[in-house]
Amino acid sequence: MSRGFNRLLEAVVRIDVSEIEFEAGSKRFTGGIGSGVIISADGLILTNAHVASPQAVTISVTLANLERVSAKLVGWDHWTDLAVLRLDLEEMQRRKIKFKAAEFGDSSELYAGQTVYAVGTPYGLERTLTRGIISNTNRPFSDTRGVRGYETGLFNNWLQTDAAINPGNSGGPLVTENGKLVGINSRAYIGAENLGFAIPANVARRVAESLAREGGIIRSYLGLVPGVLQDLEKFYALAANNGLLINGVDPGSPAARAGLRAGDVVLALNGQKLDGRFPEQLPPIQQTIASLPVGTAVVLTVKRGAQLLALTMVTEKLESRVGEEWAFEQWGLSVRKVTRAFARENQLTDESGVVVLGVQPGYPAAEAGLARGDIITKIGTAPVAELGQLKAIYARYETKPSPQLIEAQRNRQISLYVIKP
Amino acid sequence: MALPLSGAGLSELFNERIKAVVAVEFFVQSEIERQPVFVLGTVIDGQGTIIVPAAAILPNVAPDQLKDFKVYRPGSTEAAQAEYLGQDAFTGWHYLRVEAKLRPALVPITHFPAVTTDPAMSDELWGIGLRNKDEDFLPYFLSARVATVMKLPQKTAILGTEVAGPGLPVFDQAGRFAGLAQTSFGQNYLLFSRNQHGNPILLINVEESSVVLLAAEVLPHLGRVPRSITGRPIAWLGVYGLQAMDPEVAKLLQLENKSGVVVSDILAGSPAARAGLQERDIVLAIDGQPLPRLKPDRVVVGYFSQAILQRQPGDAIILNVWRGTQHQAITVHLGEEPKLSREADRHYFERLGFTIREFLIADSILQRTKPTEAQGVVVHFVKPGSQVATVGLRPDDWIREIDGDEIKSYAQAVAKLRSIEAEKNRAEFILLVSRAGETSVLRVKLN
Repeated sequence: MSRGFNRLLEAVVRIDVSEIEFEAGSKRFTGGIGSGVIISADGLILTNAHVASPQAVTISVTLANLERVSAKLVGWDHWTDLAVLRLDLEEMQRRKIKFKAAEFGDSSELYAGQTVYAVGTPYGLERTLTRGIISNTNRPFSDTRGVRGYETGLFNNWLQTDAAINPGNSGGPLVTENGKLVGINSRAYIGAENLGFAIPANVARRVAESLAREGGIIRSYLGLVPGVLQDLEKFYALAANNGLLINGVDPGSPAARAGLRAGDVVLALNGQKLDGRFPEQLPPIQQTIASLPVGTAVVLTVKRGAQLLALTMVTEKLESRVGEEWAFEQWGLSVRKVTRAFARENQLTDESGVVVLGVQPGYPAAEAGLARGDIITKIGTAPVAELGQLKAIYARYETKPSPQLIEAQRNRQISLYVIKP
Repeated sequence: MALPLSGAGLSELFNERIKAVVAVEFFVQSEIERQPVFVLGTVIDGQGTIIVPAAAILPNVAPDQLKDFKVYRPGSTEAAQAEYLGQDAFTGWHYLRVEAKLRPALVPITHFPAVTTDPAMSDELWGIGLRNKDEDFLPYFLSARVATVMKLPQKTAILGTEVAGPGLPVFDQAGRFAGLAQTSFGQNYLLFSRNQHGNPILLINVEESSVVLLAAEVLPHLGRVPRSITGRPIAWLGVYGLQAMDPEVAKLLQLENKSGVVVSDILAGSPAARAGLQERDIVLAIDGQPLPRLKPDRVVVGYFSQAILQRQPGDAIILNVWRGTQHQAITVHLGEEPKLSREADRHYFERLGFTIREFLIADSILQRTKPTEAQGVVVHFVKPGSQVATVGLRPDDWIREIDGDEIKSYAQAVAKLRSIEAEKNRAEFILLVSRAGETSVLRVKLN
């Protein structure tokens, strides 16, 4: 192997994460194993968002030289399934631990058939090296609940490889023969043979820079759900290679307010022609919208039947459907804040309230009759707009327990419950 | 004085009373199949009128899909034709009328004396079961003791074991009519097999029942023979998602010892909305009569719904409600129930492989849209294996556009699909379809 490759091997780490989970009405600690790769001399590690999340309590990194060091989460982006950690440099200096950083390659130059290697910790087997080829350089793959219930894959295509990727490989690098980092291995079809997916290095590098600098990425949102135009050009009487089919519009979104409708075909965005005939053409278009500064005015040129319309809308900040989570342990109740995206998806009237993630059998919330999926909208006479309100009420309950009247919706049916000490 | 439940006396009682019971056969004709159904019925008058339980016919089956009603006497292979008269909304019973030739052989249940007091715990009752068609619907004897009497919300006796076929009468030892066996309740069992170790399952006995609606709840309502096959008129309030008020909640709201129903949803433009009823109101009384406290709690919802259905469109009722922190009295003028799914116009497109029906008020609740904004048509049936099934069209999908044209009425949709069906050389058509708030474009290939 080349010197570059050896250097890369020394930059790959094993990551052990202990984190809080708000399931079944309580706060629980769970553990997980993943992989990562050091990408800078100041100790930044690139890994998957589904390996290390903001709910991580301790992150411990095992270097190639078998030294174990703690690390902290610097930034997190479930949309691209990427997270950035930072090694505890002080500790490393004190213990005189050395490490190497990997070098990025240009993922846009990859070609199908090119030999690549995956390095990582599948099933806890450290520093496992597997070999394969690039099977496809441009695979679309989005999942609304892919990263611990968070949306992922909407804004980028993936590298597909037949190098063996197993649970635990997540967050590890996909590299070329000369040891250049060209992708971050993220997922594989379980049960299928050698269908692995990696985030292209060019996406990972850009996201990692933002995460290191700002801790997160702010994206723009319009609320349009594109569909594949494939072979429908004739039906919509379109010129060749032009048009983005609108499959759906999120209710209440900027696109909906501007009058965009399912079945419309968007010909251009701010004058720039769109081409969305094939699935792999959609993520780059979504990325074009997402990368606009929040609050940008966008003009869509829309074809509706024989009509040609110009619809103007202003982008909003993109939000996840997953809100902040918390557990009220004496009640045996864990909840998640309703977000605007969740409210739209579930046709709720607004984004107030919290969703019940779980209840612990025998505890007051379960005894009252609350169940997973209920949306708590009111406590006493006060609407629950923020999670903080609920926390304040809970704090008062902890010091002086008294019955609490809860209003909750289940399948849009309103019920009242009493949480009793 | 009760007779001993045995010997010649009993068989005499039994042989007289089987003249009040019949087996009913009919067919449910759907787009692609014809399904035979067998149910049991009780004769209620001298004109050959027969009632069968609510569960005999699913609510979305249209009356014109019900074909070839035949009535058999117990132990007989001779069929008599019958006519379907419709369903009564309050009792849920379906009414039939059998042709004249069979009537002399029948005796209405009202011919027998009835029990006037509630049966006591441990009283022994007996009833009739009927075997299947291949055994000539042979009648057989069942008996059981009363375990308890509950209000569900009607007074209902629960017996220790099965006492009669569902829909058939039950008698006391003197042969007096004690009640009508209902669809039986589910019973919890654990299933053990080679692969399953104690998995809980729910079993429902469809041939015999241990649940009996008491005679005092049956006899006053036998005369509710539907005036039309649709069962109309049906009184309508326009509230949805009713939930029983939990006793703990009542206590906290200082409505102790009161029973109530929480209103989740009020349809815009409905009688309830016009009268000013609001979402989250808790209804405590109708016309000054407090809602009764019933167990389980949810039974009060059934009580409330039946109280509405017992009235007529145009009737005024006063609802006493708890709103936020105070009592309110609201007068509602009941309306006529909007068109039900079973009454909706529908059309099957054989070549396309699906049925559409008109958009109903009930659909606007399901689709969470205002009834005034509701247009388009709803998919009623999708033929398995057809092109529309392959592209993912499903029953209850809401069709908004066909070939890019917005659908504003049922007639327009039918005309549009008819012309698509008639075009022999057409390669495809496009549907814009909503499901649970999500819209998608479906492209259907023909040929």
